[in-house]
Amino acid sequence: MTKQLHKVCRELLESGKVQVIIGYGQKDRGQPPHPVFITSPEEVEGLVWNDQCVANLTTYLTRKEIRALGKPAIIVKGCDARAIVVLQRESQIDRSAMVVIGMACNGVGEPRLAKCAACDAHVPAHVDITIGEAVSEPVDPERRYNDLNVFMTQSTDERMDYWQDELERCVRCYACRQVCPLCYCERCVADKNRPVRFSTAPTLKGNYAWHITRAFHLAGRCIGCDECTRACPAGINLRLLNLSVARAAENAFGYRAGLDPEAEPVIGSFSTQDKESFIK
Amino acid sequence: MTHKQPHPDPDMTTFEPKIVAYVCNWCTYLGADLAGTNRLEYPPNVRIIRLPCTGRIDFNLIVKAFETGADAVLVSGCHPGDCHYTSGNYHARRRWTLFRELLDTLGIEMDRIHFTWISAAEGRKWQQVITEITEKTRQMGPYLAYKRICRVS
Amino acid sequence: MSTIIGGQVLRDMVNDWIGDGKRVGGPGYVGNHLILYRWLHRSDELLLESYPRPHNSIKEFLFPSHEKLYHYKIDGQHIELSEAVLPDAQQIIFAARPCDAASLPILDHVFNWDYRDVFYNRRRSLTTVVTLACQDHDAHCFCTSVGGGPDDERGSDAMLFALGQDQYEVRCFTDKGKALFEGKLEESTRVGKVGPGPERRLDLETVREFLKTDFESPLWERQTLRCIGCGACAYNCPTCHCFDITDEKVGSAGVRMRSWDSCQMAMFTVHASGHNPRSRQPQRQRQRIYHKFEIYPSKFGEILCTGCGNCSRVCPVGLGITPVLTAIQEEQAARAGTGAAQEAGREKVDQ
Repeated sequence: MTKQLHKVCRELLESGKVQVIIGYGQKDRGQPPHPVFITSPEEVEGLVWNDQCVANLTTYLTRKEIRALGKPAIIVKGCDARAIVVLQRESQIDRSAMVVIGMACNGVGEPRLAKCAACDAHVPAHVDITIGEAVSEPVDPERRYNDLNVFMTQSTDERMDYWQDELERCVRCYACRQVCPLCYCERCVADKNRPVRFSTAPTLKGNYAWHITRAFHLAGRCIGCDECTRACPAGINLRLLNLSVARAAENAFGYRAGLDPEAEPVIGSFSTQDKESFIK
Repeated sequence: MTHKQPHPDPDMTTFEPKIVAYVCNWCTYLGADLAGTNRLEYPPNVRIIRLPCTGRIDFNLIVKAFETGADAVLVSGCHPGDCHYTSGNYHARRRWTLFRELLDTLGIEMDRIHFTWISAAEGRKWQQVITEITEKTRQMGPYLAYKRICRVS
Repeated sequence: MSTIIGGQVLRDMVNDWIGDGKRVGGPGYVGNHLILYRWLHRSDELLLESYPRPHNSIKEFLFPSHEKLYHYKIDGQHIELSEAVLPDAQQIIFAARPCDAASLPILDHVFNWDYRDVFYNRRRSLTTVVTLACQDHDAHCFCTSVGGGPDDERGSDAMLFALGQDQYEVRCFTDKGKALFEGKLEESTRVGKVGPGPERRLDLETVREFLKTDFESPLWERQTLRCIGCGACAYNCPTCHCFDITDEKVGSAGVRMRSWDSCQMAMFTVHASGHNPRSRQPQRQRQRIYHKFEIYPSKFGEILCTGCGNCSRVCPVGLGITPVLTAIQEEQAARAGTGAAQEAGREKVDQ
């Protein structure tokens, strides 16, 4: 697969179809692969592909420093590819001005990431070139939300205690935001200071406001790559919050983000037939 | 005030629930106004905050209400089909459907967050809703869990 | 001769301190895998076993992530100010790593420079630091490259050396350290040893030479383009000390608060006009390296890095001090290789 990847990327660069390859490099075998930006055909040997390629590179598509490098080709896994669909739907990228290289993937991370257990995108969708072979099979929707379902067996008070312990550790480094391909705002609401929208201090109060906001600004947009959870140096399981909103979107509106480039985003559209049982 | 059994917790006997109501300008606000002009009495525990439309009610405002000491929050607007801006309430309905799940996962007490549709003609419904929420919140007591979160330390 | 102590005695001491109202901070598990420094409630939360190091630093205990500076109340034209209560509880940082303790004398400079920071200094005077010498290191550790080591004494009041079988040699360096272990130690002939420490990989002279001349080098762009601009490196660094000041207001009263801030964030340098002198991420990465290895040393005579490696340990995209400094060294070596300075360069690496 790596050989084929090198070949494809070399051709793309040599033909001038793209100016930069956003991919994975690995300088030190002992360290996980990290993002690299390859701009000349001679450097493509530096690209790697293996089951430690966890980072979702699509976060670079909206960055001005990377955009300045020219037309990109980007290497994605099946889960990452969904972010491109959302970015396109939200008019953040020009899909025709990039080449998306999808890698068939049977799971990443050591140990395997939680998301991989319920993956139904081993073969990336909506990509231009697919490398490798795998089989994507439908997954029972409940399996996607397994961790959340287990968590929700606790009482409200237990959940409140759990999150107070977790969010106490947050120091507001915003790694969760910065690593997220869909947190692309020029100026985040957390950085608004004229006036301040919510507390920027890492007090419990500020941390609750931040994590509620982060999770909900991704409502119906989060594609479940779990990069926020991986990036968090305090080990906060942000995945649970993302799952809760994603499950509601799937159960109530049959919507999952990043699957269908034509679908109306769940927030931002409505149906007069929407069902609920909580409005009196 | 309704008669209540004396509570062992001294805070509870003097406890007056603080309720923040985010209402739309066109239906619920006028419904509340109608309750007033009709001399329909309802508990003074509610603080009404008028916004153009339920579609304009940022979810952060619900958090903000708890941050500033609310014990319960009400969000209320026009019935489906009646939105002054055609579809603001439909958008809001979707948003709340997802938002409630997030708050529930976080362990926020869902019995403290209320959603209603109250039209400009439903002064009596406003009276009933506010009375019910006030009594329910009174029984639940102050929202200590969120107040603990907001203690700036 | 040496003085030793049993692990159980240490744990009892920790419980006693906590019982006496002292605050004890030390490493412990958060979940199943992550080890962080935290305030301890009981000694069984304390992790004394050997492992590389926690993913955060002890600076939280002296320079908390958020801190009240004063309270205010606005009443019409009248503003009432009241001082924040200064901490007064004795605190013991227990089983810290030497690379954490070493940060304290370095931080002392900046908190006592043109302004003496009352909060930091108060906590510093109330704090006793007991380190645990390192038996282990991982791929991120580089203390030996920046003048430290697995038994670096800087900043420690006392140091523990694991002897195996839950026994520790104790070396007290200061009166504070001695007072802590007064009457608890046994005489012994057993002497603790440390692991070899990480291999020395960086040569700071080479790095500083580069920094003197290459502010505009394309290396910065090339090496740091992947930085996503979060504050994980800075917030888990024992020496990073930037902060932001905000008002936490409810109604007409509030608290003026200082919270950690990071030069890696785009908002850090934005002017009121909207202009941002460091508008691109590579400029911010460059700033971080310059501050640590050029600006701070030229002002205070010490580099702002203890080689703990947390920056690369927590970086979501595999950056941090080592990858950047390694690239600088490679660049310098390549230059030396092409020029007449070949021999001189080789000598330097040998040293």
